[in-house]
Amino acid sequence: MAISTADGPTASKGWLSRWVPVVLIIAAAVIAHTVLRQYMGAFVSKIVLDVGINVVLAVSLTLVNGFTGQFSIGHAAFMAVGGYTAASITYYVSMVVFGGPEPVAGALSTMISGRENVPLFAKGDAIFAGSLVVGGLAAAGCGFLVGLPSLRLKGDYLAIVTLGFGEIFRVLIQQTADVAYYVEDVKDAPLVGVMQVFSSPRAEWEAPIWARLGGPVGFTGIPTYNSLFWTLLVTGLTLLVAYRLKRSTHGRAMLSIREDEVASESMGVNTTRYKVRAFVIAAFFAGVAGALFAHTTGVTLKANELAFAKSFDIIIMVVLGGLGSISGASLAAVILTMLPELLRKPEQLVAMWPWAAGVVVVGVVCTLLAKNKIGGGAVARAGGLGMGLGGAALVLAGLGAIAMRAGLDLSQYRMVLYALALILMMILRPSGIMGVRELWERAFWRGGR
Amino acid sequence: MAAKVRDDAGGPALEVRGVSKSFGGLKAVQDFSLTLSRGDLKGLIGPNGAGKTTVFNLLTGVYRPDAGKIVLGGQEIGGIRPCFIAARGMARTFQNIRLFGELPVVDNVKLACHVRAEHSIAGAVLRSGLHRREEAAIHEQAMSLLGVFQLRDRAHEQAKNLPYGEQRKLEIARALATRPKVLLLDEPAAGMNSGEKVALRDLIRRVRDMFDVTILLIEHDMGLVMEICERITVLDYGCIIAEGTPEEIQGNPKVIEAYLGGAEEITGA
Repeated sequence: MAISTADGPTASKGWLSRWVPVVLIIAAAVIAHTVLRQYMGAFVSKIVLDVGINVVLAVSLTLVNGFTGQFSIGHAAFMAVGGYTAASITYYVSMVVFGGPEPVAGALSTMISGRENVPLFAKGDAIFAGSLVVGGLAAAGCGFLVGLPSLRLKGDYLAIVTLGFGEIFRVLIQQTADVAYYVEDVKDAPLVGVMQVFSSPRAEWEAPIWARLGGPVGFTGIPTYNSLFWTLLVTGLTLLVAYRLKRSTHGRAMLSIREDEVASESMGVNTTRYKVRAFVIAAFFAGVAGALFAHTTGVTLKANELAFAKSFDIIIMVVLGGLGSISGASLAAVILTMLPELLRKPEQLVAMWPWAAGVVVVGVVCTLLAKNKIGGGAVARAGGLGMGLGGAALVLAGLGAIAMRAGLDLSQYRMVLYALALILMMILRPSGIMGVRELWERAFWRGGR
Repeated sequence: MAAKVRDDAGGPALEVRGVSKSFGGLKAVQDFSLTLSRGDLKGLIGPNGAGKTTVFNLLTGVYRPDAGKIVLGGQEIGGIRPCFIAARGMARTFQNIRLFGELPVVDNVKLACHVRAEHSIAGAVLRSGLHRREEAAIHEQAMSLLGVFQLRDRAHEQAKNLPYGEQRKLEIARALATRPKVLLLDEPAAGMNSGEKVALRDLIRRVRDMFDVTILLIEHDMGLVMEICERITVLDYGCIIAEGTPEEIQGNPKVIEAYLGGAEEITGA
């Protein structure tokens, strides 16, 4: 990439560049949770949680669909695997250890304000942290299984396998028994009993504890450990891992498979190994995102809510952002997660118009400057980006105005708008907002077409 | 000629014995044999559809041979996957350019250094010392290779934006980055004008000497082939019809017939 000279042969401060980003991520997560949350209020905080989880999902899918160029349309299933695994761990372990499913949370793991005299970490947090990791590993295991067919299948055929995996998992979850509500139930439940689950799914007393995941009713009462701290921590670490991967020889190997599999293999890249690796890593992060989601306040884990529609949401983020661009996918995830909230309140959309118009004007000025050979490619690029994003915002403001007049609830039409945006994108900019490049890369701003 | 290096090398760089491949009823390559000593620069010619690229695909593992032996530097490589063949020291360019178009020029070359990288994914994510040393080395090697091919200024452009001739050069640079013992060039001069061809001729010779590689070259431009190749193998309908020095080949009646056609057909050379 363009900045690769920056950490060329001269970089010698090993541990510094290694750990400073991690420390910064932790610090940012702590500050956001302890300080910024007081200014954000409950509603905004909740949206930030959604944004963070969706960024993790979009960035992890970028590894599969963007880097190696495979087409997975079952990413939400990995989220579901992680979510159910982690939820059953925290729920049932809390039952046994604490005698009930209520969270035993430290100050960093609660979104309830006014608990200042609680320690930063409590016992329950350890269970939660463990469940995040185990949930991710469970999803990674499934990612390995789904990745195996990718060695023989390409394009549409692989897409159908991933879709099939999601459906199988959804149906299996719906066969499970209700969640156990009492400590006695947990202690009395048998540990084994596979066949009973499938022969009499609603027979709660015989169902082993790991098969009591709520079925079609949903997994209720999951302890709410997720907080700004955990979500931002995971988001930051995911971005860091994805970016470091992209900038390494392993990331180049993945990207080269997308570009030309035959050439990549001939240059010594073990393409089958990297395709499976991409699936495993992506599934791990999706699983952790699912685990975070499951422990969020107000969430009832339901398998059919993490089915194809959710996978499609994530795909839209990745495709709009640019296949292979980490910052592009993140940007798209942020915008598309906030959009439904904005659509719910058309007056907010309308209020956006002066800002949008300003961005468009700046974009037009930049474009005009570039047309007259002032400033070069970077300015042209900024102009295009400004006109694009500003124009999109203006269109939204206009939609908001229409909706206010007609009394429509625009959020009902979310999927229509997404589809339209996707069609427009495919016509105007098939490689997404960013293509394969990152926002901060010189090549991007210098305006390579 | 190549006799000077033949003595100090243990065995031939590449030895192919009786390799055959058919697709359904079509016998694409039959009983193909070839020996490349270290430092050889050999040409593989033949009319269109003679099976030259199929031979390359067999050598690099894209196709699995039906019969025969391929030995690279003493190791049997017939039937193993292309990535492992590349790791053992054989690299190629493609007739229809196959660069990683969206990636920067330098990354195309860096990717080919991947074969020799030893750090794990975890090492890359944790920025281990090995990762940092290897990445630095890869960057340096890639840039110096680009320097050899006068592509340094273009290092950060997307490969697909390079002009045609430079894309061909980048393909050679990329193949060399795998540090091959044997380099297979598939029509490197295709689409080049006469000036570019002269430059390419010098470049191929320079590559052979600088990087100490053995080169097998498919080319339709007879002038180029006759000028730089020390020995030439001629294929027609999947069979070897002649083998020898350029002078011998030029005078061989079978070759002339294959190119100009016998009584029944005329093929453009």
